[in-house]
Amino acid sequence: MGYYEQSVPPVRDTRLKIGDSYYGDACGLVDCGREGCLLQKNRGFWQANACQMALTLMMAATVENSAIVVHAPGGCGALLHSLSVQSAKGRARRGKEPKPVPWLSTNLTEADVIGGGEKKLLETIKYADREFRPEIIFVVVTCAPSIIGDDTEEVVRQVRSQVSADVVSLYCPGFRSRVVASAYDAFYHGILRGLELSPKPWVDYRPLPQGSPDAELAEENYRFEKSRTVNVWNATSIGPGDEEEVRRLLTALGLKVRFFAEYSSRDELRMVSEAALNVSMCNVHDDYMLKFLEEKFGTPYVIAGMPIGFRHTRQWLVSIAERFGLEKQANALADYEEKLAKEAIEPFVEQVRGKKVLICGGVVRVGAEATMLAELGLHVLGIRAYHYDDGAEPVFEDVGRNLPDTPVAVSNQLFELTHQIKTLKPDIVIAHNGTQGYIAKLGVPSVQLWSVDSPFFGYTGTYRILRRIVFELKNTSYRERLSRHVRLPYRPEYFEGDAFKYIRD
Amino acid sequence: MSDFLESPRTACALAGALSTISCLPGVIPIIHTTLGCGGNLANSVAFGSGYLGGGYCSGAQAPSSGVTETEIVFGGTDRLHEQIRNTLELIDGKLYIVATGCMTEMIGDDAESVANEFLDEGHPVIAVSTPSFKGDSYHGYEIVLDAIFNRYLPKSEDRNPRLVNIFGLVPGYDPFFRGDLEEIERLLTSLGLEVNTFFTPSQTFENITSAPSASLNIVLSRVWGITLAEKFEQRHGTPYIISDLPIGPEATDEFLRRIADWFGLDAEPVIDRENRIFYGYFERAADAFCDQDLKFYAITVTNSNYAIPLARFATRELGWVVVDSFVTDKLTDEQKAALSGDYPMQFLTGVQEIARAINKNHPNSRGQRYFDDIRPLYIIGSSLEKRTANARGAMHLSVSFPVYDRLITDRGYAGYRGGLHLFEDLTGKVMSVKG
Repeated sequence: MGYYEQSVPPVRDTRLKIGDSYYGDACGLVDCGREGCLLQKNRGFWQANACQMALTLMMAATVENSAIVVHAPGGCGALLHSLSVQSAKGRARRGKEPKPVPWLSTNLTEADVIGGGEKKLLETIKYADREFRPEIIFVVVTCAPSIIGDDTEEVVRQVRSQVSADVVSLYCPGFRSRVVASAYDAFYHGILRGLELSPKPWVDYRPLPQGSPDAELAEENYRFEKSRTVNVWNATSIGPGDEEEVRRLLTALGLKVRFFAEYSSRDELRMVSEAALNVSMCNVHDDYMLKFLEEKFGTPYVIAGMPIGFRHTRQWLVSIAERFGLEKQANALADYEEKLAKEAIEPFVEQVRGKKVLICGGVVRVGAEATMLAELGLHVLGIRAYHYDDGAEPVFEDVGRNLPDTPVAVSNQLFELTHQIKTLKPDIVIAHNGTQGYIAKLGVPSVQLWSVDSPFFGYTGTYRILRRIVFELKNTSYRERLSRHVRLPYRPEYFEGDAFKYIRD
Repeated sequence: MSDFLESPRTACALAGALSTISCLPGVIPIIHTTLGCGGNLANSVAFGSGYLGGGYCSGAQAPSSGVTETEIVFGGTDRLHEQIRNTLELIDGKLYIVATGCMTEMIGDDAESVANEFLDEGHPVIAVSTPSFKGDSYHGYEIVLDAIFNRYLPKSEDRNPRLVNIFGLVPGYDPFFRGDLEEIERLLTSLGLEVNTFFTPSQTFENITSAPSASLNIVLSRVWGITLAEKFEQRHGTPYIISDLPIGPEATDEFLRRIADWFGLDAEPVIDRENRIFYGYFERAADAFCDQDLKFYAITVTNSNYAIPLARFATRELGWVVVDSFVTDKLTDEQKAALSGDYPMQFLTGVQEIARAINKNHPNSRGQRYFDDIRPLYIIGSSLEKRTANARGAMHLSVSFPVYDRLITDRGYAGYRGGLHLFEDLTGKVMSVKG
């Protein structure tokens, strides 16, 4: 039985070669991933992080007209308060109503842990359906029900006939994988098993009687439109500004662009099958989904890195264009765009040339960003990826070719980041959301690796990040003053030794 | 069996424990559960409590055993052991508290005996059991303080006749805990007392270690921290009194008199001076307050600590008409009974449930020419009430967890200064609409 037929999805750790503890360089990382030594690596000291449930909730909270039932003890959903604000903002920026997502916790107690939480789950789903009338109810299955062996799939199967919403199970117990990115698979597994992904007659379209004079023309029209339609798969780290940039570029090639699955509704998701191509914007986000769609609907897909910086954007565009015989147009578009963007970034490039930069965050993005900034004349002191898996191999082969001597770490650990910042002394750190405050307390300038407020992709993204770096460096007083008053929790001896001393094989 | 919850305004015992520890000077958490719990729970208050953020060693800096499937199957005590040893090596702290989560409790890890091994070697390491099914965040606060004061710290030999400890306000889940504690400390200090508040930046680890020698514990909650104070009295012989958090001059006058009486001190000079200052400001604002007709019906939606103080302030100091007070924490019948009095409370948690109750208690006009509704209305609650307020055409101020539409530093609503702040914030919201 394949992964797609199973009710519970595999975690990344079983599906791919994966790791979260490494220090060396890009080539070494690729080799270590291939040979499997990465799997053995671990740490003797860990700091708290997120889990796959956090990212699963983050994605689910963006889906239109949905409600979330967190099947868990009372604490697990707590971060939905902040996620809900974030997704409301994402909705507003995409011209949708910025309403928060309703959510419930089954609030498992000691008695439920012993006696099972299935009845409670059933009641909660029914309540969510009655009270909020959502189109989709996401049932988020966490650690506790997974350990006690609740048959949530059976509950979901039973409840489907009793509620008007579509019920989608999302299995994301944190203990099953330390790698947060496993959430992408957990989320897509739920979507592909729980929702219709192709249009329904009379609901989504009006079938014309066979042989009617209009039928043939209409079908021809539809086929043509479909042959020019691409689905582009987004994620929380890909903001509305990125979507606009990607839409602008692909539209310029004559393609019709639709974004899935975040900020989509149930009705929109039924159109997934009606495309000529599925396009990924990140190697480690959506291969699980895109492979499924190829298997199910025969829709081919393209996974070609992230469109960050001139070289990667061109490569990404051409990989898509090739599928439509539009390479020439794509290259011409890239030439034109690069010409405009080069002029625009010139004054900034002068100001950032030679600046020492440390880059931390999602594995594909840090690789792409590092080579881009190096090509623009910055000095990349180090790359820190949150995790590594097979999907990121092409990106790190590229890093290995372009930045063979640059230190590469696979680490989401703040103590190691702190050590690297204190010892490498970067002029600027480009870092993932959630770490900016910690970096500011070290007195070092930093900018976001991504943010939903501005584009990072394509040509406007390149312009924007350079402009932001220059802006950051215009006044660093806040951080300098702040850092003088912050005491770090780490003993000073640590900074005299190896940053990665707690990584073990 | 407790029921499911809609958008719970609390999290698990571990969340409360971590939020509490993050504000205790020199105290380091060691989270014995998956890597996710620590980050997720810290984020819920770091962003959901007026952007409280991370402290000295909390959030993504907090040490965590990060158990995975292997430990779930084979037990996680070896991993915990290694994590504690390396935490002691890397992290500089005065007390290390191992806090467990659901899965390590379910598999039966004995965190306490692992902690005891280190304690026996002379390292300050203790363990608390904080799975979600032991209670919510408010219980987590009590569990941590109980472990520190009633288990870890030795019985007190001497007594400082002027020293008081303040309990009851729960870091993060009382979003204004720091500002409130600062004001309580300021006022009690002006009576001539020394005050341990534990959670404000002015406090040090010495405030924790000196706590057992206090002469009085003041619990600013009718619900939270009382069991803690009872056990504290049994162990260290320190009596306690329970008081509402005083907001505004009337409540604060009473509070100061009560404490002064207990110590045989005279509160009147302090009360006179504070009232002179309060009314010096409040009086001038009367022009705007009255000319602009800022009289409201009020509905409060808060945790149990804020419910009565807020209703009282709105009623007594502002002359508003409080029509509903909702208490959103999950309470036992006994705890609910403790909140009975002049201001009737309703006990509901869900945003939708509360909105429905408001509409039921106070139907909107159906287009009648003459209709006695509750306009103008002010809903003082959490950020979650914003939509409810919008739907009713009401003003709205966030004061209770979760608060994510404002950033809070040292602002508090307790005491005289806090009364002015609350007055400013409530009226400021109305003024800002005028733009």
